[in-house]
Amino acid sequence: MELDSRLVRCFASVFPDLTTEQIKQASGKTVPTWDSLAAVTLIAVVEQEFGIDVNPLDLGDLNSYSAMKDYLRHRLNGRMSERSNP
Amino acid sequence: MKLLTALDVLKQRLPEGGPVREVFLACGFTPIHLQTFLAAHLQLYFPTERIEITTGVYGDLVGNLERLQPAATRLSALCVVIEWSDLDPRLGIRNLGGWDVSDIPDVLESLHQHSQRLCQGIERFCGTVPISISMPTLPIPPLFISPLHQQHHHELQLREAVASMAASLSRNQGIRIVSSQRLDELSPALQRFDVKAEILSGFPYSLDHASTLAELLAATIRNAPPRKGLITDLDGTLWSGILGEAGVDGICWEMDGRAHIHGLYQQFLASLASAGVLIAVASRNDEALVEQALSRKDMLLKRDSLFPLEVHWGLKSESVRRILRTWNIGPDAVVFVDDSPMEVAEVHEAFPEMDCIVFPNNNYQAFWDLMRRLRNSFGKSTVSIEDSIRLQSIRTVAAIGQSLQDAEGRADEFLKNAEASIVFSLGRDVHDSRALELINKTNQFNLNGKRFSESDWIGYLNEPGAFLLTANYEDKYGPLGKVSVLIGRDNGSLLTVDGWAMSCRAFSRRIEYQILRYLFDVFRFEEIIFEYRKTDRNGPLQGFFARLLQRPPDSVVRISNRCFSQRAPSLYHRVEDTLRHGA
Repeated sequence: MELDSRLVRCFASVFPDLTTEQIKQASGKTVPTWDSLAAVTLIAVVEQEFGIDVNPLDLGDLNSYSAMKDYLRHRLNGRMSERSNP
Repeated sequence: MKLLTALDVLKQRLPEGGPVREVFLACGFTPIHLQTFLAAHLQLYFPTERIEITTGVYGDLVGNLERLQPAATRLSALCVVIEWSDLDPRLGIRNLGGWDVSDIPDVLESLHQHSQRLCQGIERFCGTVPISISMPTLPIPPLFISPLHQQHHHELQLREAVASMAASLSRNQGIRIVSSQRLDELSPALQRFDVKAEILSGFPYSLDHASTLAELLAATIRNAPPRKGLITDLDGTLWSGILGEAGVDGICWEMDGRAHIHGLYQQFLASLASAGVLIAVASRNDEALVEQALSRKDMLLKRDSLFPLEVHWGLKSESVRRILRTWNIGPDAVVFVDDSPMEVAEVHEAFPEMDCIVFPNNNYQAFWDLMRRLRNSFGKSTVSIEDSIRLQSIRTVAAIGQSLQDAEGRADEFLKNAEASIVFSLGRDVHDSRALELINKTNQFNLNGKRFSESDWIGYLNEPGAFLLTANYEDKYGPLGKVSVLIGRDNGSLLTVDGWAMSCRAFSRRIEYQILRYLFDVFRFEEIIFEYRKTDRNGPLQGFFARLLQRPPDSVVRISNRCFSQRAPSLYHRVEDTLRHGA
């Protein structure tokens, strides 16, 4: 839940005209303002907000809200399990 | 500031049609996040203005400047962000131009040529728009043969060339260079360069570095006016010890007495005073003893630099009130320093706008921070002639003020014997910072209360027919410096005055009448139109117009030469006229 709301906030800062519902359906194909500049800004906002560094090879796949959410869930879970290792 | 916060700041768009602050951000990299942060920081500084930032093309910093036409722009500021790769592409990592040992001398030569072109490109804008510049902030790539812990002479030559370029640019009025020392403090060197972002998107800065750099650039664009006066306590502040107990020879400020920070404080206040900052004393003490102490030959802050002295056993806030009255400045332009937290609290309660600081006795690091904080509060780009005579003119005004309040007949006699002279300067010197300060700070004798941003001021004076008239006053009691500023337009058939302000230190000397006489004599119009507007505080100007018109002034005031000649009082000033610059 927390991940969802933080990610929605990131999207809202880059796409201020979208509603929360529209954000959750958003992708590069459905949002006209999702151009290369918006994509770079979105990745930078997400990296800073979640304290992660997105691998350049993953950038091409992060082209929708749901893809971004899945990616973050995977990365953040991974980090937690790494931390729990002694 | 986080990028998310910056975007949120910019989301709160102001309505169309309001004032706009347009800034051109010239850089050779993709401006993307720096542009966002700069807009956000400027928006916080100027909350009522819509911030618009325009940029050029990637990879051509000099070309971006050369394509921008100074005369065709109505920019509020020009912001130039230089990185090493703008001085030679081989100093970046996006171009593969060769890092052979044999290439380095050519890199140096190329850097010299690029920096010359860059300087010329920037200097074209001097006098048309305020300019803020950031010199290279990123690490130089590892292209030199020496190990990281050793500086190679080629690297030193590069740095020398850039430092020389910055020094040369900073000599131009209207150009402000971002402090590399301040940037070093706020943005760690190793955390500035984002290699991934540079390679993937052509944006070389980490987000933290971009935000910090944008904040400093915004601060140089904002160019907040410095505070004007400092009121200091004595015991435990200007010196160590209590004068009433230790006696004149018992107080100290040197290393031996572990009182060195008081010596540094004196030295610092002397430095501020030499730059035109007013320094006064508010102390609960014996006046005669204080005079003796301040006359000690080893004082680093000279007695002459202090005015006025409020030394008695009454409330500090009352002392501060009297000092403000003598200086004729508001509490928001003043800093109060005292070692007693109680005194500081008492003054702060009476003057919430005043910066009230507890002197950090026995805390050397806190004292260092205090000096830096004070320098920031009083920081300015240049020391003007007015700065150098401000204290003297305030002393003069205080000394003869009572005489000038006397009856009209005696005032006439007084003015006749004052040996007063006025030096007029007519032109359009956009860099006259004192003129801009007068028009923006003066309330009582102010034509309409209109304030100008630096860029509005430059824009106005660059309009066809616009002129700037300033008046410097001096009499046998001493100089008052530049006391009046007037701006107007001569369109060939009408003379319109759009702004006029006079320092209240110059009241009752009939300078305002002499200014009008000068306008009639020089421009030779039968009538002058004043874009007057009544404000809550411009009563003295209303009175001046009412005396000439013999009725309260309307929204636009017209004064004819005939009316002026009939109603103006006798004028005794000797008048001089300096060079006119293209008016």
